[in-house]
Amino acid sequence: MSDLLRQLLEEGTIALGIWETVYMTVLSTAFAYLLGLPLGVILCITDKNGLKPIVWLNKTLGVIVNFFRSIPFIILMVAFLPVAKTIVGTSLGNEAVIVMLVIAAAPYVARMVESSLKEVDKGVIEAAEAMGASTFEIIFKVLLPEAKPALLIGAVISTVTVLGYSAMAGTIGGTGLGQIAIDLGHKRFKDDVIWVCVVLIVIIVQIIQELGMFAVRRVDKRIGGKKRKKSAKTAEEK
Amino acid sequence: MIELINLSKTYASKNGDVEALKDINITVEDGDIFGIIGLSGAGKSTLVRCINLLERPTAGSVVIDGENLVGMPKKRLLEIRRKIGMIFQGFNLLEQRTAAENIRFPLELAGVKKADAAVRVSELLELVGLSDKAKAYPCELSGGQKQRIAIARALATQPKYLLCDEATSALDPNTTASILELLKEINQKLGVTVVIITHEMKVIESVCTKVAVLDHSRVAEIGNVTEVFADPQSSIAKELIIPDLIRTVQSASGGKKLRLIFRGELSDRPIISALALDLGVSVNILFADTKSIAGKTHGHMVIALNEDEVDKVTEYLSEKHILFKEEI
Repeated sequence: MSDLLRQLLEEGTIALGIWETVYMTVLSTAFAYLLGLPLGVILCITDKNGLKPIVWLNKTLGVIVNFFRSIPFIILMVAFLPVAKTIVGTSLGNEAVIVMLVIAAAPYVARMVESSLKEVDKGVIEAAEAMGASTFEIIFKVLLPEAKPALLIGAVISTVTVLGYSAMAGTIGGTGLGQIAIDLGHKRFKDDVIWVCVVLIVIIVQIIQELGMFAVRRVDKRIGGKKRKKSAKTAEEK
Repeated sequence: MIELINLSKTYASKNGDVEALKDINITVEDGDIFGIIGLSGAGKSTLVRCINLLERPTAGSVVIDGENLVGMPKKRLLEIRRKIGMIFQGFNLLEQRTAAENIRFPLELAGVKKADAAVRVSELLELVGLSDKAKAYPCELSGGQKQRIAIARALATQPKYLLCDEATSALDPNTTASILELLKEINQKLGVTVVIITHEMKVIESVCTKVAVLDHSRVAEIGNVTEVFADPQSSIAKELIIPDLIRTVQSASGGKKLRLIFRGELSDRPIISALALDLGVSVNILFADTKSIAGKTHGHMVIALNEDEVDKVTEYLSEKHILFKEEI
């Protein structure tokens, strides 16, 4: 163990890094969903085969979403610094990083939500229409609840992606495990610092993944939800 | 009463326009179990979706209880749709909701109070015989059970009409029979008018009172089931109702061919031996598809006769009130 690593552990820098990474990830993902979820719903229903086809709106939003998704995050971070400045008053540090993460992740989330909603059986939507459900009711009572498992899986993937992006926070003065690995590990030739950060990030990702999948299994009422497989069988035997 | 008046539906496609429905005129009276049959691609599914305007017709009117659905404000249309239940081949249950929650769904849409809805849901579960499955999720139910829940859901808001789009096509024969029995019961006990779309003749035969035969986007034939079955006029109806007969008649050679139609008029009287004994003619049976329902004979029989004996036989059959047609 290098002296630097020992120092970082003793001073609590690593522990702080864990906290910063987690809080940046969670906060950014939450904001990204605040924007991306409605955007995804709009993308889904305004599609030409959607519930309320509005082709021009769909096309316009599609272009905007694709524009932001095409920019590599490290470049997006420096290119859109003025945006961070107007929103959080600074173009440096974790607040600015969070703004950048949201800008990068919201379009990603929107596509994720859109594809989850498109998986909902057309027949079920048709049945709801036949019952006199309005577009609004179909979105909130059919599309979103029926797509819940897929949406949750999407949320897990998005969170992990955001976590990955957050490692680049150091570029604009942000902190967290990624910044520690680069500034204190890589730049000072301390491989053990890098590897401690890597292992910690892997553990965090694992925890997010496991928690997410646990939630999906709990929520999904279709066959494949663990508990139900057995009872479905007995129902068939009857 | 459902009136489809001069209804047409055209889809635009890359290879030009496709006419799914052409000039359809159908009237479904209250209390009917109205069957619409046709081969795949005949336009059946489009037709049933035009009744509640899931598909918008390109021309014509859909008049339900005197109100034309075409061109009416969306809000009113949604209200009318609550009077029209619908079930599907694929059941289309909400997979993330239990059976009871599925049945409650249309009640939620209609703004029924929770307590009232709960009472209604248990009534409906009882009606379809699945009270013990209230808490089961669709994935835990068999096909027949899913369709029963779908029926209960369709009936939740006490609709006047029930549309069935190939509702039994995904089910085995026994389950089909029990679902059809349930539909009949709903028609008789609750007075719900039922429209059934199917490609299976058996479905029409066992429950429907009236039938429309669809062919190439048009109504080829329409009438009471007993009449259409006894004496189909259009070639498509013949093809659907008596396919083997058509083939036999076409392949048989020589002599005059008569098709006898039994609609339950004669009971156990052996008509063929009577022909032989009373008239002394020799009868060659080319084809017979008859069944005995409550002691009465229903079905078709094709006999071949010598040319010179035809008049004698037809006179005899008329005398005995037996329907017949000459087949070429």
